[in-house]
Amino acid sequence: MMSTLSRLESTLPCRSSQIGQLYNLFGHNEEPFPGSVYISGGPSVGKSIVVSRVLEEVGVKHAVINMIECYTSKILYETILSKLCGLVDTKCENMMDFIDHLQRNRSEIHRSVLIIDKADKLRTMDFNIFPGFLKLKELTGGIHISVIFLSQIILQKFYSKTNIVEPIQITFPQYNKDELLEILTLDIDYARNLIINNAKGGGFEFDVDFYRNYLNVFLSVFYRNCRDLTELRYIARSNFLNYCQPIISKENTISDSLALWRKVAPTLKQALQNLYLRVSTVTLPQSLELPFYAKYLLIAAYLASYNPAKDDKRLFMKYHGKKTKTLRDVKKKSKVSEQLNTVLGPKPFSFDRLLAIFYSIVEDKVGFNNNLLVQVSSLVELQLLSSLSDSSSLDGAKYKCNVNFDFIQTVCKMVGFNIRKYLSDFSHM
Amino acid sequence: MAATVSVSKGVFVFKNGAKAASKKSRTKDKRTQSLYCDSLWYKTYKSLWESIETQIQELNNAMFSNILCSLVNFLKNCYKDTVSEIPAAALLTGINMPDHSVQFKTLKKEIKRSITPHVVTLSGEDCHSLKYLVEIMVNQLVKSEQLIDEDSDSDTRQIKKSQCSFTLLQAWYEELYQPPGTANSPKKQKTKHNKNIIVVIIPDFENFAPKVLQDFIQIASSYLNVLPFVFVFGVATSLNAVHRSLPCYVSSRINIQVFHSTPSTVYLNNILENILFSRQCPFHLGGKVFNLFTDIFLFYDLSVSGFIQNFKYAMLEHFCYGNVMALCQRKHIKQIISDFSHDDLENARRLMSFRKLVESESPEARIALLTDDNYFRNVLLREVRKIVAYLPNLHLFLRCLHVLVGDLPKAPLGKQVRELYACAVSRNITKSQEYKECFQLLAFQSRDELCNKVKRITDLIVNNSEGLEVGRVITDRLNRFLDNLHNLDQEEDENEVAQEGISELMGRLQLREKLLQMSKQNKPMNKYEKIRSGLLNFLSEQFEIYLQEPTDFHFHEIFFFNDISVQTHIIGSHRAAIHTALNDPHVYLQCPCCEIATDSVILPSMPDISIVYKLHLECGKMINLYDWLQSFLSIVDPQETEDNPKVSPQLQARFTQAVAELEYLGFIKSSKRKTDHVARLTWGG
Repeated sequence: MMSTLSRLESTLPCRSSQIGQLYNLFGHNEEPFPGSVYISGGPSVGKSIVVSRVLEEVGVKHAVINMIECYTSKILYETILSKLCGLVDTKCENMMDFIDHLQRNRSEIHRSVLIIDKADKLRTMDFNIFPGFLKLKELTGGIHISVIFLSQIILQKFYSKTNIVEPIQITFPQYNKDELLEILTLDIDYARNLIINNAKGGGFEFDVDFYRNYLNVFLSVFYRNCRDLTELRYIARSNFLNYCQPIISKENTISDSLALWRKVAPTLKQALQNLYLRVSTVTLPQSLELPFYAKYLLIAAYLASYNPAKDDKRLFMKYHGKKTKTLRDVKKKSKVSEQLNTVLGPKPFSFDRLLAIFYSIVEDKVGFNNNLLVQVSSLVELQLLSSLSDSSSLDGAKYKCNVNFDFIQTVCKMVGFNIRKYLSDFSHM
Repeated sequence: MAATVSVSKGVFVFKNGAKAASKKSRTKDKRTQSLYCDSLWYKTYKSLWESIETQIQELNNAMFSNILCSLVNFLKNCYKDTVSEIPAAALLTGINMPDHSVQFKTLKKEIKRSITPHVVTLSGEDCHSLKYLVEIMVNQLVKSEQLIDEDSDSDTRQIKKSQCSFTLLQAWYEELYQPPGTANSPKKQKTKHNKNIIVVIIPDFENFAPKVLQDFIQIASSYLNVLPFVFVFGVATSLNAVHRSLPCYVSSRINIQVFHSTPSTVYLNNILENILFSRQCPFHLGGKVFNLFTDIFLFYDLSVSGFIQNFKYAMLEHFCYGNVMALCQRKHIKQIISDFSHDDLENARRLMSFRKLVESESPEARIALLTDDNYFRNVLLREVRKIVAYLPNLHLFLRCLHVLVGDLPKAPLGKQVRELYACAVSRNITKSQEYKECFQLLAFQSRDELCNKVKRITDLIVNNSEGLEVGRVITDRLNRFLDNLHNLDQEEDENEVAQEGISELMGRLQLREKLLQMSKQNKPMNKYEKIRSGLLNFLSEQFEIYLQEPTDFHFHEIFFFNDISVQTHIIGSHRAAIHTALNDPHVYLQCPCCEIATDSVILPSMPDISIVYKLHLECGKMINLYDWLQSFLSIVDPQETEDNPKVSPQLQARFTQAVAELEYLGFIKSSKRKTDHVARLTWGG
């Protein structure tokens, strides 16, 4: 009996306490199952794998339901029935039908476990599903069936007016640095394959310590920014070849870890910039091709979003009269950067204002025609602007500009327009 | 009355109505076609347009094939290794979705042909929620397979849309690719060996609801070990859009490879240079119209298909002038002219440039031109042949000029062939200021650059002048220049003129005088400079011969379309159109009763809305409804209002309806600030 436990602990490192808890709940043949278990923990901390592996090892029949897939309750019920009881083509619309079906297949589902993955989705579904699943044993009239919820949020978020039965809770904490190191070390076979396949003529053998060294170096850069195991594994895999490059080209030996570290550090720092982006090729400096007037419309939208409307007269009109300096203006000059409009985020503006600014910043005469108006809607479609009013109202449509200052500056550079001159944030400089 | 088995009363649908309607429309099509299809000009137009269309299609395919190849390769290889993330290709298409829909269709066809039958295209409009998305996707996948298997599989059961879910998809896929041992039909066994991937194409990534896509990707990734998915995203803006709409827990499920497609300006240049500026296309746009179209392209929409549609419209406008436009082709000109009837020839005589021709002739010839059809036929043939001979030379030498001046600093004549073309067809390019500037700049070119350019020009002429006598003469001359330039190397050293050294021992005054003297006297040209100026002179002479203005030719209207009035049809301006319609209804109604001399006149015969509109133009920001009604009545029914203070209900209803219509059009809106007033929303007009 202990051998199952130790076997589990060796394949699933750093999760011994959770495995122990689960084993206590489900591992004893003669004991009744708990009604429901709620397992919470962040992304990629091994919830699903631990649960399914433990149940497999102790030989309990179980079915895994991914809640993202079950966008309606009908699909949820029917998927459970087909996975648990093998009922295909059954119609099951609501909880009552579901219970009924379960009771009819009483013998089939005796001592089985239902695992509901991504259980956080249950909150937005029918009100009776979560309490119903918590009490499934009671509702079905004593069938030995247990429900395990896997979720990224804590149970307290499910509390509502109606009281719910408290399930047994198990928490999966985040891995710490040592644990991450240990788990990533399991990836050594992949790394070996990588070296054998990719190092032309320079393939070499290495031991666990060498790989751990690499991971140590790797985690020292990434641990501060990312604890997500899958992401870390992905980056660790993609950078391992860079780490080994000096060895393949026979510049350094395997034991020379310090030199290897010095050589790979810049690459890793670079990879830190692309964390979570998952882009396999280095992208070219982005150049968005927009028609000439669309560029100006975008600039006008940016100006309208980041300038207060009361400054328009001063910024865009030729003879706007002299402005007397008040104490407030002087104070404004010493604005801290948090109060700058460009930092505060875009403000909505009306369509008329957009056109007015557009016509004042475009030097040559532009005909007001449909092609111009279509540009506005195509900018909205490209998500460079967002429309704030609903589409049914004809006049007074409001928009917001979605691009940031760097983006608009590159656009301005393309058309030769000095945007700083027209932004009230920069006007005192 | 068709019989039903039902005993209940009700409306029953019989499914033959739709068929009848479609038949009707087809016959109608035929009728509208028969209006023109006999006329000479229409035939010419049709054959020309068809040839252009097929050429564009071919060019499209050729241009897209490059990126298509790499995409297809990516799709082929993405499941070679075991994957832990869903492979995804992001195709950066540039803005203009309509242009790219063709590309995605080709991509789909190509994938179906060479990789896998399981391809789905999902558009953002159809997939508001995850439910719709999954239903549409599964439905498309399963249905497409059924169509193929229809005759072999007897148990093709109908699948309802609501049944479509991932479970169904998985079951379907496993049945399709079950391990060979258990497979029973021999036909299926062939496909067993490699599981086909499932490609999901999303052409408009920006239009997709991000939430739906996130959920979809998560589900797909959970099925990755069973269903090999590959995504193709069409991204219009930049890769940032992908990262903005997918959070990290979703984007960690996919592995994106980026592909770039050709920018649409390059695409347009290709179409212009390879199809429209070639000897296959005798129809040409004049300078004004061409500039209009390129301006629309560059300034407003960057849409190549829009440009082609505009071009087509110009062609239609051009050809429907009359039968004389049937001459707008390269061959059979003599045949066509001899077939021309008297009316057709009159049609030709009405062309503007014919007047110039008449004026330049002697009195006897003038009479002959105007009255003698056979004499006129000969003249027409002669003149048209001149233009036909001129056109290929125009294109050829424009390209030569482009080679020569395209990379000059600041490019006075423009960097693209289209810019040169626009200049050459609107005025005499060799007389223009920019042209002179270009040749001044060319006079400073180094020998290597010049040699290179001359080489390219000779290649161009050799490749493009099939059977043209002039081509050979020019290339001979150019080759001789080239030889001279190459031979210069050996001679140069010998001919180096010993510079009169400025002796070190010289007074300051003397030195100044000396320098002044040196700067005044023209330095004698060295050998290279002599050859260069000779070469440039020769080229310039050639350009002057061949790059004439099209308007120099008589009957140039047959080949060049330069009617700027198409502008109003091409560029819509709805506000102006509405204003004209309401302000001067006669423009559209063409009725004799509403004719007005000036804008301010209001006639009682005009439609009510137009009277109300014209009255509202005279008002300020707020309009008093009662005053408005009074002025309306005074126009519609002048006697009634004077005699009787009570308003007739009919007239009031008419007025109310007209005001409501104006409100619907967005000219006024009801105001809460003042009772019985409406606010005016538009200004000017």
